[in-house]
Amino acid sequence: MAPQNQGTELDLTWISEVQVNQPAVLRRAEQIQTRRTMKKDWQAAWLLKAVTFIDLTTLSGDDTSSNVQRLCYKAKYPIQEDLLKALDMQDIGITTAAVCVYPARVCDAVKALKDVGCKIPVASVATGFPAGQTHLKTRLEEIRLAVEDGAKEIDVVINRSLVLTGQWEVLYDEIRQFRKACGNAHLKTILATGELGSLTNVYKASMIAMMAGSDFIKTSTGKEAVNATFPVAIVMVRAIRDFFWKTGKKIGFKPAGGIRTAKDSLAWLSLIKEELGDEWLKPELFRIGASTLLSDIERQIYHHVTGRYAAYHDLPMA
Amino acid sequence: RATEGGGARRSHSQCPWAAARAAGLELAGGMAAAAAAAAAATGAGEAVTGEAATGQSMGKSSVQSIFFSLDYGPAPESPSTALAWLETQGPNLGHFVNGKWLKPDGQGTITCRDPSSGEFLANCFQAKNEDVALAVDVAKRTFEEWSQLSGATRAQHLIRLADAIHKHQKLLWTLESLASGRVVREIRDGDIPLAHQLLQYYACWAQTQEQALSGWQPIGVAVIVLPPTFSFIEMMWRVSPALAVGESGLAREPLGPGWGCLTPTTTTLPASWVIRSPHPTLLSSHWDGEPPEELEGPAGMGSPPRSSRLQPPSSVQVFQVGNASQKSPFFPPTLVLGLAPASPCTQREVPWPVVVISPFRTAKEALAMINGTPRGGNASVWSERITLALDLAYGVRMGTVWINSHGLKDAVAPVGGCKETGSSWHGGPDGLYEYLWPAGLLPRPVALPEAMDYNKFGLSAPPVLPSGPDTSPPSQTAPYGIFLAGRFQNPSSRSSRPILGSSGTVYAHVAEGGAKDIRTAVEAAHQAAALWVSQAPGKRVSMLWALADALSQRSQVLAEQLTEVMGVGITEAQTEVMLSIARLRAWGARVHAQGAGLHSAGHQGPFLRLREPLGVLAIICPEEWPLLAFVSLLSPALAHGNAVVMVPSGACPLPALQFCQDVASLLPPGLVNVVPGDRDHLTRCLALHQDVPALWYFGSAQGSQFVEWASAGNLKAIWVNGGQSRSWDQEPEGAGPELCLRAARTKTLWLSLGDI
Repeated sequence: MAPQNQGTELDLTWISEVQVNQPAVLRRAEQIQTRRTMKKDWQAAWLLKAVTFIDLTTLSGDDTSSNVQRLCYKAKYPIQEDLLKALDMQDIGITTAAVCVYPARVCDAVKALKDVGCKIPVASVATGFPAGQTHLKTRLEEIRLAVEDGAKEIDVVINRSLVLTGQWEVLYDEIRQFRKACGNAHLKTILATGELGSLTNVYKASMIAMMAGSDFIKTSTGKEAVNATFPVAIVMVRAIRDFFWKTGKKIGFKPAGGIRTAKDSLAWLSLIKEELGDEWLKPELFRIGASTLLSDIERQIYHHVTGRYAAYHDLPMA
Repeated sequence: RATEGGGARRSHSQCPWAAARAAGLELAGGMAAAAAAAAAATGAGEAVTGEAATGQSMGKSSVQSIFFSLDYGPAPESPSTALAWLETQGPNLGHFVNGKWLKPDGQGTITCRDPSSGEFLANCFQAKNEDVALAVDVAKRTFEEWSQLSGATRAQHLIRLADAIHKHQKLLWTLESLASGRVVREIRDGDIPLAHQLLQYYACWAQTQEQALSGWQPIGVAVIVLPPTFSFIEMMWRVSPALAVGESGLAREPLGPGWGCLTPTTTTLPASWVIRSPHPTLLSSHWDGEPPEELEGPAGMGSPPRSSRLQPPSSVQVFQVGNASQKSPFFPPTLVLGLAPASPCTQREVPWPVVVISPFRTAKEALAMINGTPRGGNASVWSERITLALDLAYGVRMGTVWINSHGLKDAVAPVGGCKETGSSWHGGPDGLYEYLWPAGLLPRPVALPEAMDYNKFGLSAPPVLPSGPDTSPPSQTAPYGIFLAGRFQNPSSRSSRPILGSSGTVYAHVAEGGAKDIRTAVEAAHQAAALWVSQAPGKRVSMLWALADALSQRSQVLAEQLTEVMGVGITEAQTEVMLSIARLRAWGARVHAQGAGLHSAGHQGPFLRLREPLGVLAIICPEEWPLLAFVSLLSPALAHGNAVVMVPSGACPLPALQFCQDVASLLPPGLVNVVPGDRDHLTRCLALHQDVPALWYFGSAQGSQFVEWASAGNLKAIWVNGGQSRSWDQEPEGAGPELCLRAARTKTLWLSLGDI
């Protein structure tokens, strides 16, 4: 993993003058989805690459150790072996980037991954996920417990009320404390952009999160009404770019929520390539939070290899 | 009227940087542009061109190597559809006349090649005179039927054409991409939907034509001449409105996707720019070829030479994307910093993808810098301060201004310009009026220009001698002098011209104006124009109404003068005076009531269609109706916010001068300047004056021809009568919507919208 971002001093001048030109962002978002097409071998290779960016996620009230175990197995073997062989990709060791679960399921996930001999990290959501409307003390405790259970990455949600009321210093301090509570675990900060009111706020919250020491900034919890969208992503990756220009630190980006089709995932990869460059196209700096995306990718790979569309039963359930 | 030069130099962007294509100017520096995500178009381009598919064989790159490199593969947009269509045409594309492809024998051909690969696409015939004549004949015949159809029927035809584009879009975009070298997505996502939208939009006009365009009639057969680099969509911008109003058309394009009708025999079009940059810090450009003939004459008369190599000073920084290959016909996106406003590179219109960034100290200075260039096409203003952005947008003299955006287009939004961009329009209602003529007025006869010596026309005024004492009664003595800057001044020639009464005796003498008086008048008008524009429209109306009141006080004297000099009956003379008073009142009120229109252009946000004054307008009044024509032309000009330099009727300038006495007391000095004298000579002075942005000429056919010739050099907006007389006492001809259209310039002001 990339070195942890220790953050910087809070500098409000980095956000005070910023205005986001929303119509321009919308146009760019529209373009970016149609400009690049990946066909044939390129499509297959890009899709397999997309698999390696996935934080395979289950965040449901009815999660138990059995489905977490299935998920971890799928994370280790995301694509059927025979399909990979057909593409001469069986030796690459393609896995998803991580599995992502609720804090109470971290132990299950760590054990399941160990059982299948998979070294990928377990990510845990924390800090009152998804709303973040709990006391700071319990939010911090949640992080510590998840780390104790073996989570290597913590996906925290920010306190949206601080953004909406413009309390940037308080937000900075809170994330700073999250950072500290994480210890050696990576900090991924969920901005819940669907609830921030404006793209300008998205930019400002991104900047604050990075200054406070996030290793990743993440669009959404998947539980808001509006989740990962391209306009929001453009604003966030531009913030990442600005932060890199100012500090030389590369911060990761994780869109999550609503990314379900293989085609979508290609557009996301292309967005990163265009906006941040190839350097960001690795699991240390780019993740896709998704639960059903993987099966659609596998379906497309199946089609690429066999020339036929797969039946439901041709592909194993995750 | 010239079409805009800028559009001709369309770059072919295989370049991965669409933002730099911004043709206009972007204000950087003082105004903080949106930092994070301002650039709508900084995205990378893609190479989805037809030729890309043939470049690399697909099987070679294994999935594994792509997996690690994450390169983009070729996007296989196959050119096969386009090639198959070309195949059906044989190697030679004919002229498209009367619904058929004509392939006359024994004609020379031009080879059309794929500009990116140089591969052969097709041959196009070089049309001869008889081919053109045939096409014109067919168009004339078709016009008879087409223009007689009801608007609703024509609308249906346009919609069917739009549907045809929709149904065969893939053929169109692949063919257009092959022929132009532009990337597919620009055509597929931009041009084709726009062409469809244009036809739909003008179909709506056709549908409501009987009501909405009741004062207008189609011109007839329209010839649309497109330079070689113009694309399919450029033709559609012009053809759609022409068809909608009932015109039949001819268009010519070297290789149009199924539309090109005639191929050029000789090129008389502005040559395209070719820019090569052998060294990253050196940017040079030159005209690739000779300037067109019609530009040569006037251009030689004081305007800067058009053919030169530009070499920026060494302090200039030039940034380019990618490697500029000497061989490539494509120019890479380029950013130039540190150019002084006086540098030829700043002054000259540089084709995109080149952006020049200049610092400025104040917004006022920025405005001065922008308006100091000869370009008048489009600009974008970037600022989060709405007050500043609007102020700049209003102040910039350009056809289109975008606030916090760039390059937005819509069929509803007019596109045009001023200054060297030319004053022709396409899109919106303005694109329609290009092909319309006031109902009831005979169209100008189509005749080849007579051979005339442009260098001699009106070169000097013949000497005039006093030929007898003034016989005008003391009560009717007209003021003597040239009306300049608000008062009567001695003419620079220090001589006078006799005005004969209807009985043949000398009635009065008027001052003989000359070149120096014109110069002074234009200067005075420029000073007054700036103030007049800033007046509230209501204030302008009240001044015009006060002028009308003053005129009615003088009606007796004016009527008698008209009777004495023009020999008309007293009743007719009185009618002329009464109508003149009515014109002043009507125009003031009409323009005040008109206002600006806010239009919606889909998700791109709304735009304002503003009507801005032309600035200093020169008007050569007709000989007939010495008072009424004078006032009929003056009133809309003033009401729309222009300052004027007028040459009154030569036979009877007295009422105009009489009227100036009231102007002197009621209007700001310099707003109206009246220079009597030799009309040809004064016309020459005004037409060749570079700082007169617009000129109306009502005189001889030869004078009209001269004005047209002269305007080809300085691209002023002109309106000439071609030697035809008008019934100034009739509403449509003397006070119709045509005057309204001519007296102001459209500006399309796009307002960026959205933050929620």
